[in-house]
Order: sequence, then C-alpha cells, then structure tokens
Amino acid sequence: MNRHVSQLTLTIVTFLLGILMMAQFHTHRLASKARASGSSADQSIILGSLIEANTNLRAEIDSLESQLSEYQSQGSGGLLETLVDELNRIKIVNGLIEVSGPGIELDISGPLNALNLQDLVNELRNAGAEAIALNGERLVFWSAIAADDEGWLIVDGVRTASPYKFQVIGDTETLEAALLRSGGLIAVLEHSYDTLQVNINHSAKLVLPVYRHPPEFQYALFKK
Amino acid sequence: MQAKLSNRNRVLSWLLVALAFGLLLSLQLNSSPISPATTSPAGHSRAEEAIRRLEDEQMALKERIGQLRQALADYQQRTASTTELLEEIDTQLNYHRAIAGLVAAQGPGLEITLDDSRQQKIPAGDDPSDYIVHEYDLRDVINLLWLAGAEGIAINEERVVGATSIYCVGSTVMVNDTRLSPPYIVRGIGNPDTLESFVRNPSYLIEVKEKVQHKGLIFQFHRSPSVELPAYQGSFALKYARPGQ
Repeated sequence: MNRHVSQLTLTIVTFLLGILMMAQFHTHRLASKARASGSSADQSIILGSLIEANTNLRAEIDSLESQLSEYQSQGSGGLLETLVDELNRIKIVNGLIEVSGPGIELDISGPLNALNLQDLVNELRNAGAEAIALNGERLVFWSAIAADDEGWLIVDGVRTASPYKFQVIGDTETLEAALLRSGGLIAVLEHSYDTLQVNINHSAKLVLPVYRHPPEFQYALFKK
Repeated sequence: MQAKLSNRNRVLSWLLVALAFGLLLSLQLNSSPISPATTSPAGHSRAEEAIRRLEDEQMALKERIGQLRQALADYQQRTASTTELLEEIDTQLNYHRAIAGLVAAQGPGLEITLDDSRQQKIPAGDDPSDYIVHEYDLRDVINLLWLAGAEGIAINEERVVGATSIYCVGSTVMVNDTRLSPPYIVRGIGNPDTLESFVRNPSYLIEVKEKVQHKGLIFQFHRSPSVELPAYQGSFALKYARPGQ
C-alpha cells in the first residue's frame, strides 16, 4: 500500500516535471524569437527608420534619374560627329588630310610652262575638282607654280618636270569633258605644242596624299 | 538488506525529482517576463513582415542607386572626354577655317590694281583683246602673290579659296562664280617688302608687264599697313572626296 502510494506520487511528480520541461522549452523558443525582432517598441523604431531611409533612397534615385536624363537629352555625341565631319571637309579643301574618291588621271607630257600648268589646275578646279595632286604632291589653292632660271618648274618649292601626272578627285565625266571639249585647254595646248601627249584614265578610287607644307601665319590676323 | 536498500533508493529518487522540479520551476518563473503579455503573437508577426518588406525594398532601392550612379559616372566620363575633344576640335576648326578663307582677315600687305587700257584708239592690226585685263592675267598675279608667301588673297570682294577658279564668260571675269568688273583690286596679306619685290621682279608677270608697256594696260601696286580680306561666302561642295583611304 505504502509502496503503491509512493509510486503514484512519483508518477505524478514526473508528469509535472515533464510539463514543466515542455513549458521551459517553449519559453526558451519564444524568448529567442523575441530577441530577433525586438520588442514592439523596438520594432516600431526599426519600422520608422526603414521608412525614412527608403524615402531618402527614393529621393536620391529621383535626383540621379533627372541628372541622367539631362545627360541623355544633351546628346553631345551627335554634336561631336557633326564637328568632326565639318573639320574633315575643311581639311580636304585645305589639302591637309589624305583624301580618296573617284576621279581621273591626266598624263600629259610636253614642254609646258608655268602658265600652262596654272591654266590646267584652274581648268580642273573649274570642272569641280575636289582634290588635285601633281606628280604625287598634293596641290592646294595657295600652291604656286613657277619656273626657275634653269627651266625647271617649281611647284611649292619643289622641282618637277614633264611628264606630268595629275590625279584629280571629282566627277569623272565633267572633268574629262572640260579638258577635252573642242576649243578647250587641251586642244589649245596641242595646238601650241606638236609633241604634246595626253592620256586620260578614269579611276574608281584615287588616294591623294596630304599636303606637306601647312601654312604658318605671321602677318594675317583673323577675325573671330 | 533489500528493504534497507529500497528505502535509501526511494529517498534518493525523491531528492532528485524534487531538485529537478525546483530547478525547472525557478527557470520557468525567471523566463516568463521575456514573453510580454502586451504583444499578441499576431501583431508581432505583422510588424516583422513589414520590416522584412521594407528591408527588401531598401535592398532594391540601393541596387537601383548603384546602377544609376554607374550610368551617371559613365556619362560623366564620356562627357569629360567629349568636352576635351570638343575643345580640341574647336581649336582645329578655327585654324582650318582661317586657312580655308572662311574667316575675314587683316594685316599688312600689298594692293594691286589692274584695269583695262585707257587708250582710245587701237592701232590697225592690233588685237583689241590685248587692251583689256584677262582672267589669266589675274591668275598670274595671284600665283605670284602665293609664291611670294601671301597668307591670304582677295580680288575685289571675293576671297581666293580652294573652290576658286578664275575664268571668263565672254569678256567678263568670274571669280567664285561671281561676275567682277574692272578695275580689279587684288589684295594680299604678307610681308609687304617681299610681296612688292616679287611683283617688281622682271622675271615675273612678263605678259602683264608687256601689255602695260605697249597697250597701256593699267597695273599699279602699293604697300599697305592694313589690308582687309573678306571671308569667303560661297560653298565647298564635296561630293566625291572622302577623308582618308
């Protein structure tokens, strides 16, 4: 009897012990969970600071986006391209850049004088020549053609002589027609010089070198 | 002996159970305030969810800011190099425009006047065309000024440029496709002494000087401390030429 009572008591006590252990375990879990997100007071502080931080971040994004769209609307790339095109165009006119294009090669040999060559160059320009080279040297509009005392022709300070090879970029038909028209310059020159030999070839692509003496200005002042 | 042992065992068991009970009870009593009665479990998880949402949003916002800053930095770098390039191109453009005659110029130089002969009676057998200024006379003068180192030339109000051809239609001289009429004033900027000595040199402008001597063609020149050249107003039509190969 005594033994039964004590066994029963032990069972009850053990049962209670079990419940207590369960309760303790549960409390422990809740406690660790609560530690992670803090108390409700902490949570509202965290919420408040997050909301404020995100508002600031959104304002930063707005500012960055408006800066970016400003850059995009400027489109400075297009302006650059236009200016480079314009610069290249003027450089071609000035002979200060290598140039290529279709045109004619005029081979002419004979006892031509400086005036004849000046006239030829002028005739080519008149027929729309966009770039001219004579015996491998680019001609520019300030190129001077003269004769020296020994009968050589001097083009931009460099001696040259017959045969002359003109390479001319422009409209091939117009250039050839201008040279060969009846009463035109070649006809006049052929009339003057029996030994004159003229040959004109069309070329789909000529490449003319850059002019080798870029000008320096000592006297001219340019207006802005 | 058996009863003695069982009796001691029982006491020991009770002692252990009581000890464990007391320990757990005190732990439970201690830990219970951690779980506040004021917060319901549901409210707790709603707040947590909001925090998590805001944290997710914050991460996305920060990522967007990172992207925007990168894009902006790229633009700024490109613009900086573009600005440098633009300045460089602007400098080059000014230089090449000046060479090309697209800018009005001023400086010391020489002013040459060419005009038709004033001779009223042309002797029989003479060619009347020898008494007027021809386009090739002008070409010879201009070629000579370039040879003498001229830095810029104009005929009347037409600047001599890359597109310039000097030709005639009938007896009318055309420069830059513009009709000019005599007197022709050719102005060149350069060293006035050099320009004048070239013009005076008997080896040059031989035909012009002959006509001056025999036909009364007018050819005068004077040095000037300030010659003004207008800017070229026409076009440079380039339809075939391309830069480079």
